[in-house]
Amino acid sequence: MKSLCVLCRGTKALCGKNRCPVLVRARYWNQTRSLIDSLELNGSSPPGVFVGRYGYPKVFVGPLIPPIHGDTSLLDTPELWVGKTIDDIVGFRSSLIRTKVPIKIEDTDNKIAEIVRDISLAGSSIDLEATLLKKPFGRVVFSDSVQPLGPSAPLKSLDLSTIKLDQKMERRSADTDLKANPAVIELYKDGIEISRIEKSFSTGSYGLKRGRKLVPTRWAITAVDDIISKSLREKIKEHPTIDEYRVYRTIGIDNRWFILMMPLVWMYELIEAWYPNTTWNLYGGETAIYNSAEGYEGRKKYAEIGGCYYAARLAVTEKLLSERRQAAVLILREAHPGYIMPVGVWNVREHVRDALKKKYQSYDSLDSALEEVMKVMDIPLLKWIENSSILGELKRQRRLEEFIGDDGI
Amino acid sequence: MFRSEVKPAVLRQVVDTVSIIVGEGKFRVNQDGMSLKSVDPTHVAMVDLELNRSAFESFEADDQELGIDIEKLKNVLRSATPSDVITLHLDEESNRLILNMGNLMRSMSLLDTRHMTDPKIPDIELPAIVVMDGEELERGIKAAENVSDHVIISMDNESFELRAEGDTDSVDLKIPNDLLLDLKCDKRVKSIFALSYFSNMIRAARASKVVKIGLGVDYPVKIEFDIAGGKGHVLYLLAPRIPG
Repeated sequence: MKSLCVLCRGTKALCGKNRCPVLVRARYWNQTRSLIDSLELNGSSPPGVFVGRYGYPKVFVGPLIPPIHGDTSLLDTPELWVGKTIDDIVGFRSSLIRTKVPIKIEDTDNKIAEIVRDISLAGSSIDLEATLLKKPFGRVVFSDSVQPLGPSAPLKSLDLSTIKLDQKMERRSADTDLKANPAVIELYKDGIEISRIEKSFSTGSYGLKRGRKLVPTRWAITAVDDIISKSLREKIKEHPTIDEYRVYRTIGIDNRWFILMMPLVWMYELIEAWYPNTTWNLYGGETAIYNSAEGYEGRKKYAEIGGCYYAARLAVTEKLLSERRQAAVLILREAHPGYIMPVGVWNVREHVRDALKKKYQSYDSLDSALEEVMKVMDIPLLKWIENSSILGELKRQRRLEEFIGDDGI
Repeated sequence: MFRSEVKPAVLRQVVDTVSIIVGEGKFRVNQDGMSLKSVDPTHVAMVDLELNRSAFESFEADDQELGIDIEKLKNVLRSATPSDVITLHLDEESNRLILNMGNLMRSMSLLDTRHMTDPKIPDIELPAIVVMDGEELERGIKAAENVSDHVIISMDNESFELRAEGDTDSVDLKIPNDLLLDLKCDKRVKSIFALSYFSNMIRAARASKVVKIGLGVDYPVKIEFDIAGGKGHVLYLLAPRIPG
């Protein structure tokens, strides 16, 4: 396809997005470039690390370092990004230089791998002095699962002051008889942020001694969301169902969220609608709708729609467990044209969490709750129903009490 | 007081028939034997199991309820060999079920039965009843699983039929009257069921070879078979799906 960007150069909106992503990236790149035009890079890592996926099982690993000193934790803590604009986020990320060294995933004893692991276990920002093989180069890279990534540079050596490790994470990391799964769950219960668990998980910090490996960041994010939400899901099943239909909603980064909780045992579905010209539907003329769902027993295959499914499941199971209730949950997401670049699955997790913090509207029937869809979302209700496997299932599968009369089962 | 001896195969049949409906079961024991009625969390399927005391090598019980984690019991049974006789007894002081298999002792804490419901088994009259070889049916189900997630079961006075329709493929198992053990059906009946439940139920009936199925028009199906060599009986009910 002939590049539309060449014809447009940010002036004609030929791609249909309401702002030019190339210009947004370029602006931040220009701001950062002057600060990093050198083979020496000094700054405070938020702390942040990145483990790449290309070349697996030999992957690029290294700390994220901004050319500034102080408390930089905001730059790599998506839990703090709700309410920020896409420009803010691109700004945070383009100032983080992704340093990298190729390391085999089993080679967790590698000197750099050890330092990177300690950085991921750190309790606060760490001053680092990196010597680079080449000057940082590249623009901000976007991905559906990982937060946008800044320019990268091959790492020659790393100097650092002593790192003060987070005690809770360090304790689990030191325990080589504790499997990674329970370690992650314990850290979550201890109140460690998901993003920090994910970072330390990616550096091979947890698990039985022999099984420890580096895990590409994007896989680590979803593994952690999956492990935690599975454990929460099994716990909420021990509790009674909610006793009303609830609707929660929010809007963030031009994504609209509609969350319906039903007074039934656990079932879950996420349906995403991408408008033409949004991140994942660049050339389509029609809105594309995708869904993934699970019944009471959960699912075995990886969700069709990817990591966002697990991120949102974490947010809803967390909310239900806090109330000691279970419910069937349907999440609808509309990605509107202002969502010009993917920013990572944190967007899903944190916006669903944010919606669930808000006051909900209560209904006594499914139909009346569903009518609310019309007020919140652009896509018509019928279209959502058509694409929903759990609404279809609820409609088609009858229940035994319908055949008994008034007494119930 | 509860104390009994039982062959692993019998206990395994109990576990296999119940575990497809619930993960935790409230078993009632009394001088007649053991029984359980459970409905699955989604209220789509139900099991009613009776095991006569004669199914056990020995059996003594006061009338009481035992809350048992079925998955746990399933795991315990993995360490039993066919020649074992398992001794089960309730340690009332610790509220644990103690299982002895040869030299191996396994104790299991019992679950609180207060929050477990006592489902009523709906009294459902079904116009059509077939008695047939479960193995033949299992073959049909295996094929159906490849093309769809639900099955259409129908009967008339000439045959029993199982159909599954996928987007492009279909499966049809038709068994004529003379190959069935019994068929009572005055008018044509047809209902649709979720294959996940239906196939598990038919597979659980493997223990008996002969299975009895009661069917109506868009109505729950009743699946019945014996376990423990005729000394126990299982009844399943499964709610239908709405056609279309």
